[in-house]
Amino acid sequence: MNGVGSVRELERETEKESILHLMDGRVKLILLIFIIVYAVFSTQIVVLAFLELYLLLLIYISHVSFKSSFKRILLLLPFGGFIIAFQPFIHPGDVIWTGIFGLQVTQQGLMWAVLLMSRLIVALTSIVLLSSISPMQEVAQSFRKLGMPRELAMIFSLMIRFLFMFYDELHRIMHAQKARCFDAFNKKIPYKWRMKQLGYTVAMMFLRAYEQGETIYMSMVSRGFSDQSNFYQDRKKKLGTTEYVYIGVTVLLVVCLQVLAMTHFYELGVLGMNII
Amino acid sequence: MHIPDGFIPLWQCAIYYVIMIVALYFSLKWARKNLDEKLIPLIAVLSAGIFAIMSMNMPIPFGTSGHMLGGALVAIVFLAPEAAVLVLFIVLLIQALFFGDGGLTALGANVVNMGLVGGAVAYFSFKGLYKAIGKYPAAAIAAWLSLFIAAEVVAVEMWLAGTFPLDVGLASMGIYHAFIGVIEAILTVVVLIALDKLRPDLLAWNRKTSGGQKLEGSEEVAAK
Repeated sequence: MNGVGSVRELERETEKESILHLMDGRVKLILLIFIIVYAVFSTQIVVLAFLELYLLLLIYISHVSFKSSFKRILLLLPFGGFIIAFQPFIHPGDVIWTGIFGLQVTQQGLMWAVLLMSRLIVALTSIVLLSSISPMQEVAQSFRKLGMPRELAMIFSLMIRFLFMFYDELHRIMHAQKARCFDAFNKKIPYKWRMKQLGYTVAMMFLRAYEQGETIYMSMVSRGFSDQSNFYQDRKKKLGTTEYVYIGVTVLLVVCLQVLAMTHFYELGVLGMNII
Repeated sequence: MHIPDGFIPLWQCAIYYVIMIVALYFSLKWARKNLDEKLIPLIAVLSAGIFAIMSMNMPIPFGTSGHMLGGALVAIVFLAPEAAVLVLFIVLLIQALFFGDGGLTALGANVVNMGLVGGAVAYFSFKGLYKAIGKYPAAAIAAWLSLFIAAEVVAVEMWLAGTFPLDVGLASMGIYHAFIGVIEAILTVVVLIALDKLRPDLLAWNRKTSGGQKLEGSEEVAAK
């Protein structure tokens, strides 16, 4: 899971200025989801390679740090990487390597693993890009504008506001525990006692969250909030030329890739073959 | 337990999304009825708190570490699996959108596993057990079961997606989450005991009514 450092780092990246940062939040959100969905749909490695190149180009245009982007992608890979690592050994097919204890690597398993890893890298790059060019609050507003139910959109928006506060709260509690030499992973301390302390920390966080929720509710009511209240929204912003160019280029790229995938990519051998 | 993008085919993702939307519809309906206009700030801030709680790494017996999910805790505090669906939907959406923890196309599957299955298993096992063994032992078993069953459902989904064999998936997910579940169980109970001492009014079993509705079984649970 992510710590307070990564949350703050994310918000700092979104404060940079570039053509992509200034674009309408809805366009950024929809197009990056569109790329992820196409990546999951695709079964050819070459298609995913082109999508990744396009995303890297977008990262370059948006002045987002390549170093921090790669670092974030690498940190996220182990979650899926663990499952992918098994694939060459568990998929039936043509055996290309036999190791100790009768372990066998099949060609189909290996290709499937490469496909899954390629999809995962494209999806994670999209998420890293989206979260680096769109402030959380902008994404929340985009969801509302795109028709997310009022209650869910308000919960989403409010939650983002309080996320930072709770990270700070947790950070303070853990700092205080550390100052008193508490280490949850210290095996010299009885396990039961450590769990009790952690349990109280969680209970305190839960309690503060609940009580904060009630306080916020009271302050919202005193400012005229009711169950019929709605978001304050700017007047509907019209899409500009840059947004239309971005939409056009992305859709054109996906259409071209799909046409090439069906007609020419098979000539590229392993890279262009359909892996199902 | 978060399934990433690319591991489940799109048509199966669509099915999980439909299930998630239906679950969300009923959860919102429950929330409107039981939490009134308090719903929005309460669920939002609680989700933020659960999000922070999930970032705490805890030691597990035999060396490894894990983090709490919180779905069982929410379901038992509110005595409603709907609350777990709502809170986990928001938490998982933010994790998928900003942190790449769980996929966006797999969001439906992740909400079904952790929110719907996790919340429902916690609620129904708690409801089924508290009369026989008391509320805290019941909460511990419910929390452990909710995590364990949710993990096994992930193994089934990965098998349906053709990504992992069923026997290996069930065994590996089961063994690992059997240990992680210990944390979920201990912490759920410690939090419930603390809440019962400090703010008993927050626990649904201590309230006779909520939003004008009688809470089913609240008196019996409180007495146990």
